[in-house]
Amino acid sequence: MTTRAAPYWFIGPAFILMLVILIAPIVIALVLSFSDYSLGSETFSWIGLENYERIATRSSYINMFTATAIYVVVVVPVSVVLGLGVALLLQSLKFGRDLYKTVFFLPVMATLLAMAIVWEIALHPSIGLVNQTLDSFCGTGVEGFFSFGWLPFVDGTTSWYSRHCSGGFPLWLRDQDYALGTLCFIGIWQAFGFNMVLYLAGLTSIPRDLLQAAEMDGVKSSWERFRLVTWPMLGPTTVFVVTITSIRSFQVFDTVEALTKGGPSKSTYVMMYALYEKAVKQNLMGIGAAITIVFLVFVLFITLIQRHLVERRVHYS
Amino acid sequence: MKPTYYIGETWKHAVLIALSIVVILPFYVMLSTSLKSPGQVERNEGGFFGTVSEMVDAKCVKRLEPDRDMIAAVRDQYVGQTDREIKTALMGDIQTSCTVHPAIFNYSSAFTEAPLLRYLLNGLIVTVSIFVIQVVIALPCAYALAKLRFKGREFVFGLVLFCLLIPVHAIALPLYIMLSKLGLTNTYAALIVPWTISVFGIFLMRQFFMTVPDDLIDAGRMDGMSEFSIVWKVMLPAAIPALMAFAIFSVVAHWNDYFWPKIVVTGNRDLFTPPLGLREFRGGSDGSLFGPMMATATIIVIPLIVGFLLAQRRFIEGITLSGMK
Repeated sequence: MTTRAAPYWFIGPAFILMLVILIAPIVIALVLSFSDYSLGSETFSWIGLENYERIATRSSYINMFTATAIYVVVVVPVSVVLGLGVALLLQSLKFGRDLYKTVFFLPVMATLLAMAIVWEIALHPSIGLVNQTLDSFCGTGVEGFFSFGWLPFVDGTTSWYSRHCSGGFPLWLRDQDYALGTLCFIGIWQAFGFNMVLYLAGLTSIPRDLLQAAEMDGVKSSWERFRLVTWPMLGPTTVFVVTITSIRSFQVFDTVEALTKGGPSKSTYVMMYALYEKAVKQNLMGIGAAITIVFLVFVLFITLIQRHLVERRVHYS
Repeated sequence: MKPTYYIGETWKHAVLIALSIVVILPFYVMLSTSLKSPGQVERNEGGFFGTVSEMVDAKCVKRLEPDRDMIAAVRDQYVGQTDREIKTALMGDIQTSCTVHPAIFNYSSAFTEAPLLRYLLNGLIVTVSIFVIQVVIALPCAYALAKLRFKGREFVFGLVLFCLLIPVHAIALPLYIMLSKLGLTNTYAALIVPWTISVFGIFLMRQFFMTVPDDLIDAGRMDGMSEFSIVWKVMLPAAIPALMAFAIFSVVAHWNDYFWPKIVVTGNRDLFTPPLGLREFRGGSDGSLFGPMMATATIIVIPLIVGFLLAQRRFIEGITLSGMK
């Protein structure tokens, strides 16, 4: 191997693999999305935009977009705000910071599929810890507090808690009204520790002098200091955290497959699960390819927004 | 110190402890269920560790249940008793010998009800192969991009940046079609191949190599080292800290991955990775197997958790690696 040829030997394998494993599939998906291809059949025909038309009009795909959108719109803001809030709390703490950090990071490490199944047991309508705990507080001061009857103009007996104390608590994953919310909850539970760690790193990179200078300039309240100094300085971290959480939320699959299989009545029929069910289980590759393309467009769109924001930031610093 | 200060501090801890309870809850359920007998799970009693009382393993009893021949064989010992009485006496002995502690029952069934050891081994094979191949492919490429001048370098780097945008899970379907056309589904290759190219790894290593002084490489060249041995004998050792973080990033991601194995491994249990094995366990179980199922979950989750608790800083660094661009 001569020195002149060396770079090409070094680049070669990676270059070929990038083309074959990352670029070619996009092209294949794009081409197949205009066909009714299925594995194992000899022939297939070109059907133009029919797959995309179906995705845009059929009710099950409308459900797919709704479920995915709700999931992303709930999980991203909540897990980002929670991550930031916890990071700020931890940073102002005198002791115990590392212990909390360890605890909150545990869900990020743990195999999501395994934890999903554990949540299913915890949320089991009859033997689950969650409903049993809720039930055991019925008729006690806890019910009194959470039914908010002590607030003026609130009738405690019509509150969520009181109604369920008398009528039984939800079935969570098997209830159409609660299933998606429950999955969102598990998603947030899993993701916020990751965001917290990134925010902690972001916070330590803010120079102390800056906050002190703000204080000397008469910014007395800590909320104002946060608004004027901390939050703008965390800008790059926030852009990144929001992007990665969005992309991950778009890809939610494990919890859906293990717990609800898209149901009840398609209320949790998110994109990755739809892709799996249509293409892998029902061998409808054309429609699966179209979902893939729509999905890629979403992801590229988010990432391009991120890059745009990051590049704009560069001029500030 | 002002008293309000302590009040503020107490409130913070109160909020954080409440949140910690919610975060810990599933881990608590997982561990405590894995220590309890089916009856205790159903009645939700026994606290965290389950009661100390032993349980009778119904399967064991069924397996050892005496048939006619066995009763005939021991008839001399029970002179003057009917077969039914002999059977009752034998069953009593069997009950005692089949009595086990619930925790032992759960964890041993985790290994006997399903080939869990095989699943764990598969997980190990897949994650280690993926990481090793990723490094073998990415390291030379990153070195060339960072330190060598050649025609097309900008183009290749541009391609790397573009590929960073593509989540591999998103293109799972065309990859699946390609692999099945090659007849590779249900093989180790299918589990490993799509992950062999880590553009993120290339990008990361390239950024790292940019900070390595050129003198180090020039010294190697002076000593007559080939470019090939510079990569593996100079650059690789220099990159160990970055590689450690990348290793954790890669291993955690693929040990926990469920989506991709679920697509390419269908039915062939010999290839199941730990998450697939656990899912299969659940699929085929009724409520009475909650204990062994949670024991399986614990065994699958434990290696990463222990690693994390032992080398916390490194793990956090590794997993949030993608955040440190």
